[in-house]
Amino acid sequence: MRVGLSWDLDTSRSATEAWQMALEEIGVANGYGYDSAWMQETRDSAVSCSSPSTFMTAAAARASSIQLRAAGIMVNKHHFVRLAEEVVIIDLFSRGRAGMSFAAASRCGIDPGQVHETIDFLLTAWSTDEFRYRGKYVRFPRHTPDSAAEGASEPAEHREYVPQWDWGPATPDYLAITPKPYSTTPPVYVEIDDEATLEWAARRSISPFVRADVPTEEAIRRLRRYRQLADEAGLRRSAVEPVLERRIGIDADGTAAVLGGSSPDLINQIRSIKAQTGISHLVWRRTAEQTGQSDSLLKFAGEVQPMLQA
Amino acid sequence: MEFWTGGGMLSRSRIAPGALANGYEAYIRDAKTAEDLGFDAYGAPEHHFMYDGFVTIPLQVLAAAAAVTNRIKLRTGAMLQPLYDPLEAAEYGAALDVISNGRAMMGLGLGYRPYEFDGFGYEKRTRGARHVEAIQIINLATRHDTFSYSGKHYQYENARIHPTPVQRPIPVWQLGGTSVQAARRAGQNGFPYWLANSSFDRTKIMVEEYRRAGREAGWPQESLMVAAQKDICIGATVKDAEEQRQFLLDNFYDEHILGYGYLVDDEGKHVYGATREHPMYQRFVSSFFCGTVDMVIEELKRYEAIGMHAVSIGGDKQLVSTKILPEFKRT
Repeated sequence: MRVGLSWDLDTSRSATEAWQMALEEIGVANGYGYDSAWMQETRDSAVSCSSPSTFMTAAAARASSIQLRAAGIMVNKHHFVRLAEEVVIIDLFSRGRAGMSFAAASRCGIDPGQVHETIDFLLTAWSTDEFRYRGKYVRFPRHTPDSAAEGASEPAEHREYVPQWDWGPATPDYLAITPKPYSTTPPVYVEIDDEATLEWAARRSISPFVRADVPTEEAIRRLRRYRQLADEAGLRRSAVEPVLERRIGIDADGTAAVLGGSSPDLINQIRSIKAQTGISHLVWRRTAEQTGQSDSLLKFAGEVQPMLQA
Repeated sequence: MEFWTGGGMLSRSRIAPGALANGYEAYIRDAKTAEDLGFDAYGAPEHHFMYDGFVTIPLQVLAAAAAVTNRIKLRTGAMLQPLYDPLEAAEYGAALDVISNGRAMMGLGLGYRPYEFDGFGYEKRTRGARHVEAIQIINLATRHDTFSYSGKHYQYENARIHPTPVQRPIPVWQLGGTSVQAARRAGQNGFPYWLANSSFDRTKIMVEEYRRAGREAGWPQESLMVAAQKDICIGATVKDAEEQRQFLLDNFYDEHILGYGYLVDDEGKHVYGATREHPMYQRFVSSFFCGTVDMVIEELKRYEAIGMHAVSIGGDKQLVSTKILPEFKRT
């Protein structure tokens, strides 16, 4: 099982201090062999990170092996073209370590279809040269007609090549998102808070992500439901990476949403969840008090993480 | 006078193709070098949907430079603001400002390529008005905890951005334009103005017009800052320098300046498919300064003498740092 980190940013500090502490912890985690770092998009305090991609670009320059995830992305707060471009930038600076996880539609106050179309657009953008997209929420380029095929489509036939600088005032019917990512397809994940998204993701091999504030029992229920639908669709389990984010208290009490206990207790709790749900990636949501305490990172990396693998 | 610079590794060159990831890695090293050599600001540009993978989100890219530097300011030039929602732009800026501990600078251009507007779904014809409103909004959003704004294109009530930036506000420069009209509009709006490539004589005229318009509009003197984008080519002889210019034109600039509708005639119309004989292209070529080190110093002294806050130059950073920067009073 892979193990990553995410953070509750410390609202008692300045944004610079809070963000620097998280960035420094990514550097430490990189050294301890943690697999991933996830920065959630939030807008509820002066220290909130509204641009996880910008944050992770800074992390890419400071940590050489840890995977970098812009998480909790609220599609209605961003332009879909720029979301595709953001991941590419992280991926190029990190040589293939970028990924993006999307917030549930319910958290954004939007229709789930907007989340689905945005993800579909990004996957197309990264893997296709010139294309166009016609959706209810995504239209690219802008002048794509209603008569265009639904979703993504490519030119039906070869047209004589004209260099871009000679296009003149006309705008082509198909455009390419460039540059392309370093990796073939950066991983994407989506919060499976609503049934429509859970089902959509399961049937399309989009990896599920369950956030730390979802009680563990409910998290297990959703992940089992995802796995059931994916199995029914005949999809390979290896095609997805189910992710569970939890707050963790080493040698502390647990709660409905927090895993707590000694190292052996935590090993058993996590392995039990894994057996029930098939998660392959656990993300430790670090509290503000925990951030900067590298002892706990070291303890978990030495006493818990290896025992989750086999 | 400040000296700004940037790196050109963030796209794939036709004459020296290489892996983009290598270029991105080199960009980070170059940012650190620029800081060590004493430059005041390091930059990143923006274009979209380009065959050469031209860099797309400068404020995000500069976060990588922020991670390896401590002092040098991090400036966009140009960030194509009419392709952004103003709050989205402000939040990118705030994120960079936090990561860099208060070193973000937003150089905002209008954009001009039709397919970029079409790709993002924004109207090109409203870009000027939206640009002005957006700069006002970004100033408000990064200065105040909450703000309200009522414009023709954008309306906000008790809005705020996250995170709270370090700089209140983040410096914003209106970038671009080689016409007196553009300079006048910038002065009327009271925005710090970063002029696009022009000869010194033309620059002087535009600066005077900008300042006059700004004074008449009632803007305080200290807000009416000017910077100049200045391509310089330094050689042992003028001929050497001119050969460097030709190399740059042949292998980079011609495509960008002659194509895409970059050139604008005196009536304000975009010129597509221009040739090298077009007077606007000739004007661009003449905006380069080609000379020896001493000649370049003398030329840049003229900019200093008219109160230029900064010049943004390219070229050999080591040469500029050792031979040119020491000749100037640094801000």
